[in-house]
Amino acid sequence: MNWWDDVMHRAVAEVVLVGALTGLIGVQVVVRRLSFFTMALTHATFPGVVAASIIGVNLLLGGVVTGAVVALGVAALTRRRGQDAAAATGVLVSGGFALGAALVATQSGFSRDLSSFLVGSILTVSASDLVVTVAVLAVVALVLVFCARPLLYAGFDPVGARASGIRAGGWDVVLLLTIVLVVVTVVPAVGTILALSLIVAPAAAARLWSDRLPVATVLAATFGVASGLAGLWVSSRWNVAAGASISLAATAVLVLSWGLRRAVRA
Amino acid sequence: MATAALRLTGVSVGYSGTPVVTGVDLELRPGQRLALVGPNGAGKSTLIKAVLGLAAILEGTATVLDRTPARARALTGYVPQTGNLDPDFPVSVRQVVMMGRYRQLGWWRPARAADRRAVAEALDRVGLADRAGHRFGLLSGGQRQRVLLARAIAAQPRLLLLDEPFNGVDAVSQEAIVRVLRELSAAGAALVLSTHDLAVARDLADLVCLINGRQWAVGTPAETLTAKPLRQTYGSSAIDLADGRMVLVEP
Repeated sequence: MNWWDDVMHRAVAEVVLVGALTGLIGVQVVVRRLSFFTMALTHATFPGVVAASIIGVNLLLGGVVTGAVVALGVAALTRRRGQDAAAATGVLVSGGFALGAALVATQSGFSRDLSSFLVGSILTVSASDLVVTVAVLAVVALVLVFCARPLLYAGFDPVGARASGIRAGGWDVVLLLTIVLVVVTVVPAVGTILALSLIVAPAAAARLWSDRLPVATVLAATFGVASGLAGLWVSSRWNVAAGASISLAATAVLVLSWGLRRAVRA
Repeated sequence: MATAALRLTGVSVGYSGTPVVTGVDLELRPGQRLALVGPNGAGKSTLIKAVLGLAAILEGTATVLDRTPARARALTGYVPQTGNLDPDFPVSVRQVVMMGRYRQLGWWRPARAADRRAVAEALDRVGLADRAGHRFGLLSGGQRQRVLLARAIAAQPRLLLLDEPFNGVDAVSQEAIVRVLRELSAAGAALVLSTHDLAVARDLADLVCLINGRQWAVGTPAETLTAKPLRQTYGSSAIDLADGRMVLVEP
């Protein structure tokens, strides 16, 4: 019997990978103030995932396609109207979710699985899910390392970046699509609703501890992994839904960091 | 070499087909300092962005160092207003100045000794060598402006454009910026800066362009910063003092 034939082993491996992945991208989300966009994304990929499951194609693909449409739509809106994309993003949150729920309702006997979309099912992670998560983790890490300069410049000073010949709008799209990829990858494990907390909370906590992007990123990945493992342990110990306990663990890391930081400064 | 650093001929600039400034005619030679003077919303920033190739030129021709604006980007530098930047962004002063070297560095090639030296020298020139490790957002407004100037210097531009470089800037920083700007133009760089401060324009500029929706006057400070063109540009908020000097008041 292989190591990964054990359900619990696979779950542990997946939370470690997902924790690292969400931590890596989370710092970009927090620093660029894209939390609300990411929330819209988690909800808007929902109908894509449901549709993919109805027509029997890969769920990841369904999520990526709808996510990419949303990301490009938001990028276009932001470009045209400055920072005022919040209203459209808000509509996407509820609209996307409603579409997903409507699609679910059309399928009799399907609603049983609805909760697994919402809060994930870490214990049903397959070996191929693990492979996909490893691949996405590698892609995201490569993007963040090799495109660090244009992403930093475009994020900090988009007009200055454009003046120096960097296509800031193009790099925004690269970042948004990377976020889409992460969201879609982690949704099967922690669900559409809970993915956001695992992306934002460890990163926000890491930002409290470091002003340096690389340090904050490593710290966020560490917090993400710790939240995942702690949540999984709590889940198996007290029989709580894994996605929920992982989210709560991530939230606890943020609250603890905030409290400790205040205590240190005081 | 008699090449103009910047030549605008009958230029109108704007966004999505709507003109913001029209009828701009001017020529700036290497080593000269041009002040764009006009009230808020006059189109000074838009004109600067057009010279950088970031706003559309709707009419006329713009030549930057014998090239189109977009093609001249490798030779131009830009100092934005600090107020538009997020002070919470986790980026150090050194990192911001290093952005000025990205064009030479490319995406991922590690910074070489020459790049680090250029960054250190640029920070030294603006008097902030001791702040290299600080977070950008923790500096004062004037210090941030000096960091952005250092970033532009690190790229060694032949034409430097500054958008309201003295807005909300303390006296020490203003003095440091003025000194560096004089050094740069003495070394042959052409400068364009927007301002609504007539004293700055009179003191610093070789050439003044008065704009408010259109170009109202262009020439030396003595020719342009006088009652008639200022009243045309600013309307009733330009007040003629008894000694022949002009002041601007808020409308």
